[in-house]
Amino acid sequence: MTDQQWQILLAAIRGEPLRPLPTGFIIDSPWLPNWAGHTILDYLTDGSVWFESHQKALAAFPQTMFLPGFWSEFGMCTEPSAFGAVSSFGEDDFPFAKKLLQTVEAVDGLEKPDPRTDGLLPFVIKRLKRWQPEIEKSGHKIRFAVARGPLNVASFLMGTTEFLMAIKTDPERMHKLLNLITDYLVEWIAWQRECFPTIDGILVLDDLVGFVGQSDFLEFGLPYVKRVFAAEVTVKFFHNDAPCKVCAPYLHEAGINLLNFGIQHTLNDMKEWTGNKITLLGNLPPRDVLAQGAPEQVREKTIALINGLKDRSRLILSCGGGMPPGAPAKNIEVFIATVRELTA
Amino acid sequence: MPDLKPLYDAILTGDVQTAKSTTEQALAGGMDPVKLVQDHMVPAMGEVGRRFECNEFFVPELLLAARAMKAALELVRPLLVAGGVQPTGRVAIGTVKGDLHDIGKNLVAAMLEGGGFEVIDLGVNVAPEKFVAAVKDRGAQVVALSALLTTTMPAMKSTIDALKQAGVRDQVKVLVGGTPVTQKYADEIGADGYSESAAGAPALTRQVLK
Repeated sequence: MTDQQWQILLAAIRGEPLRPLPTGFIIDSPWLPNWAGHTILDYLTDGSVWFESHQKALAAFPQTMFLPGFWSEFGMCTEPSAFGAVSSFGEDDFPFAKKLLQTVEAVDGLEKPDPRTDGLLPFVIKRLKRWQPEIEKSGHKIRFAVARGPLNVASFLMGTTEFLMAIKTDPERMHKLLNLITDYLVEWIAWQRECFPTIDGILVLDDLVGFVGQSDFLEFGLPYVKRVFAAEVTVKFFHNDAPCKVCAPYLHEAGINLLNFGIQHTLNDMKEWTGNKITLLGNLPPRDVLAQGAPEQVREKTIALINGLKDRSRLILSCGGGMPPGAPAKNIEVFIATVRELTA
Repeated sequence: MPDLKPLYDAILTGDVQTAKSTTEQALAGGMDPVKLVQDHMVPAMGEVGRRFECNEFFVPELLLAARAMKAALELVRPLLVAGGVQPTGRVAIGTVKGDLHDIGKNLVAAMLEGGGFEVIDLGVNVAPEKFVAAVKDRGAQVVALSALLTTTMPAMKSTIDALKQAGVRDQVKVLVGGTPVTQKYADEIGADGYSESAAGAPALTRQVLK
């Protein structure tokens, strides 16, 4: 992100009135490589392809902000790989970490990884280090440390079904697992910050918090999410595009001040549930409208989105979730232009 | 007649041991296995589905209830087979080729079993020919396809095409579901049904089998 984009982001987080309303998108491997004309595997393995893809997107959409910006990643494999989970890469498929723990009891044998040396994490750091001069030459800075959240990582290590059942059948062991993962994530975020002093934000992605009820969220979600967000940075950005009603009232307590959520909920509802204490990033339907709709439909739905807003503070207009695969440039342009036109 | 409220409650609370012991007691006491399933187990899973729909239950509660239901059902199933009782329908379910995310598939499988269907769980990353084989060799009347990823959704169409090429498309109903899937997409690829939620799957399956 450029300094100017960063200042706009901070102003939105402070709740300052902004005209036009800012727009922004999470962009990563599900959308960016194919949009830029590459396979996902080329994007993940070739630093030049990765860097040029980001540059191409930045040049194509200069009036929006991309979050986290120059995201060095290996999809869902990044954090689980450090525990030893097998990472599976198809030529143009999303990377996938295979289940590591075959039984609940196997949690007892799990060791905390070292973010400096284990799995794909050194590759993440080296990618950014290698391209940092070019990133900065183009007027951008590395602003965010990024990690999948504790429940999300647990679900990859154990399997989602197994993990969600185990929080009921073996809660003590699941706390042990979540504590271990959280310790690791805290160190992983700290290491990213140490490597890149320009980082002043954290992005944590965890959809699993959306699958549990209130009591389970308070026991197995909130304490761990809170610890991950405890680092002293200005922007604390959380992504959960699974249902968010249960966790929303507690996210501010976890330190979160920026939230990207799914299309199950409206911006108005989410503002109410978060007490308007968190800046929201949303909420155009990503697949049915932004990726698959005609430009006219994107405009129509964007107008409806804006006209339906009860309060325009603490908002960055986006889609509900990350940029969806296949979203065409024209639709993104129409969205950005419509927001600028209607909120100037 | 034995008190079967504990069975209903055990399924609701996901208590496997009580679900099994109550079922064993009921069967030992001469309870008709069909009545046991239809009057006690299916209503319990129906209630689980209702609570899930109105956010009283969440995914963990649903999974545990399904596990208790399955444990009880395993005790009853041999008696149903021996008695020549047919399930409500036979469903082959799996995530499509390339998709390794099983949570949606497991939830739907659980709801279908709870609804009295026989479920052939083909697992994750299932090739189209495996669905074809489930229809040809195992008599599946319904094929239920799950996809979490937009990139794997086209495998739903490939599977339907494979069913056509194998000449069994007319023998089977195809249901689709998963986060990125919509009714519009289901219509486009020629599926027979789409459910937005796992809880809606039993009713949809009964409807397409009519």
